[in-house]
Amino acid sequence: MPRPSLFRPTQRHPSLWSRPEERYPTYWVETLGSLPPTHGERWSAARGRTVRHFDPYRSKLAAAIARGWEGDLPAVGEHWLYLGAASGTTASFVADLVGPTGRVYAVERSLRPFGRLISAAERWPNLLPILADARRPREYVDWVPPVAGIYLDISQPDQVEILRENARFFLQDRGRALVALKASSIERGVPPAQHARRAAEALAVEFRVGAPLSLAPFHRAHYFLDLNRSPASSDSGPSARRSTRGSGSPGPRPR
Amino acid sequence: MAVALLLRAGPRLLIRDPGALGWEVLPWESGPSEEDPLPAGAIRILGRLSATTEIEVGSESLRRAVERLGRRARLAGSETIRRARATIPVPTDARERRFLIDLARARLEEALRDPDEVLIALAREEERVERALGRERNAALEFGRGGDPNVAAYAGRWARFRDLFEQHHRELSAELERAAQRVLPNLTQVVGFRAAARLLAQAGSRAALGRMRSARLQLLGSKRRPSPERGPKYGILYRGERMEDVPPARRGAYARSLAALAVIAARADVHTGRPVAPELKRRRDRRVESLRRGTRA
Repeated sequence: MPRPSLFRPTQRHPSLWSRPEERYPTYWVETLGSLPPTHGERWSAARGRTVRHFDPYRSKLAAAIARGWEGDLPAVGEHWLYLGAASGTTASFVADLVGPTGRVYAVERSLRPFGRLISAAERWPNLLPILADARRPREYVDWVPPVAGIYLDISQPDQVEILRENARFFLQDRGRALVALKASSIERGVPPAQHARRAAEALAVEFRVGAPLSLAPFHRAHYFLDLNRSPASSDSGPSARRSTRGSGSPGPRPR
Repeated sequence: MAVALLLRAGPRLLIRDPGALGWEVLPWESGPSEEDPLPAGAIRILGRLSATTEIEVGSESLRRAVERLGRRARLAGSETIRRARATIPVPTDARERRFLIDLARARLEEALRDPDEVLIALAREEERVERALGRERNAALEFGRGGDPNVAAYAGRWARFRDLFEQHHRELSAELERAAQRVLPNLTQVVGFRAAARLLAQAGSRAALGRMRSARLQLLGSKRRPSPERGPKYGILYRGERMEDVPPARRGAYARSLAALAVIAARADVHTGRPVAPELKRRRDRRVESLRRGTRA
């Protein structure tokens, strides 16, 4: 029986709470949506707040936090474009983080999880579902305004290219991007870490890129990238080469 | 050269008329459809534009809407769109959310009416029902015959439920068979309707099925992780048509042959639509006979 006093607020985000458990702290996010929780995660309610467990095995963003990523989370009031929302597990957490004044535009192409995404959107006032292929941003350019950040979780070999194309249409000048790279869907037979490095290099033309963070043991062969669009990078690239030393990039823990 | 820019922003239309200063923001109320006629205010503004003014638009649907009015339009570049949208704050409100959810519903329903999607949905449902039915039957075997009258009465009600469930499964299978014959006529004849539908469901789409080679098709639906040392050898096709006529020791060989034939049938269904099944069935049956006789063919 969790007691509310065990939940501690974190410095990073007003909606993110932590709770020490047996071996490591767990993270919890105060929810905007109505219960029951989206996908059967643990939850706890007290004093008018309801928090949901941000399970690192379920969500790659949660895994990045659990692995010590210290970059900026989606902030209150921001608009985010979420590519590859599937049935909306992580998307609903991002919606919680941006709060009632923020928006999450969740793009998913596959029909079967999309039905569940719609029902999640019914319960989250700031989660907007879009049925479209993230490879073709023209299909949803009518509905998505410029955004402060893009979250990309698409297991496709051309995921880097997909991110670039969407950033051209939607990412604000100082926008950020969080990328969950699935190395095994790029090419087999190459060490996953090498894929992550290559992707980081490819993106360094337009973004300041933090060192790829391995999401093991929560997600095998997955890497998390934290990108910042540097102000000067919109036309000329050279200034963007200062890799890892960007603001708020995850420093330690390469792998 | 004068260029007018039209962008849709959810329930609003943004117009930059080169003859006027700044942007015009018009409400564009409509149902969940992308093929809406432009709002009256926009038609007025477009009518005022001189014939040499070029028109740029944000999306294909907007281009179609402008071209229906007899003006030519081209797509604006991504940078133009991003800059323009960044300069005009468009408030986000509950209407936008309602609109997007309705649009998502409408798109989903439309996509789900596609015959391929119907077949995939049926295939998954049939698989689920088949599994549930198997569980019920196994449980019934273990339930035994209790001497207690209450238990006996319960067992009777349960048996009636199983009969109904079996009937449901038969009806569902018949439906699946009809759908499979419509969507994948050749493949259905070669490997059977259940396997054909499951192959499509596992491949994800008709296009993906058409791209697959036989080695991949053979493993489709296997649950183990592929690996060069000891990966899976069989998948859905191991339950393909006529498998039970082959001696157990030769079933692996038959699965490979069946995969080779199935891939031809699948490509015919996806790309050419030619009826190749009779010939493939002959080859399949010849293979079964030779495997039964134990001779190589």
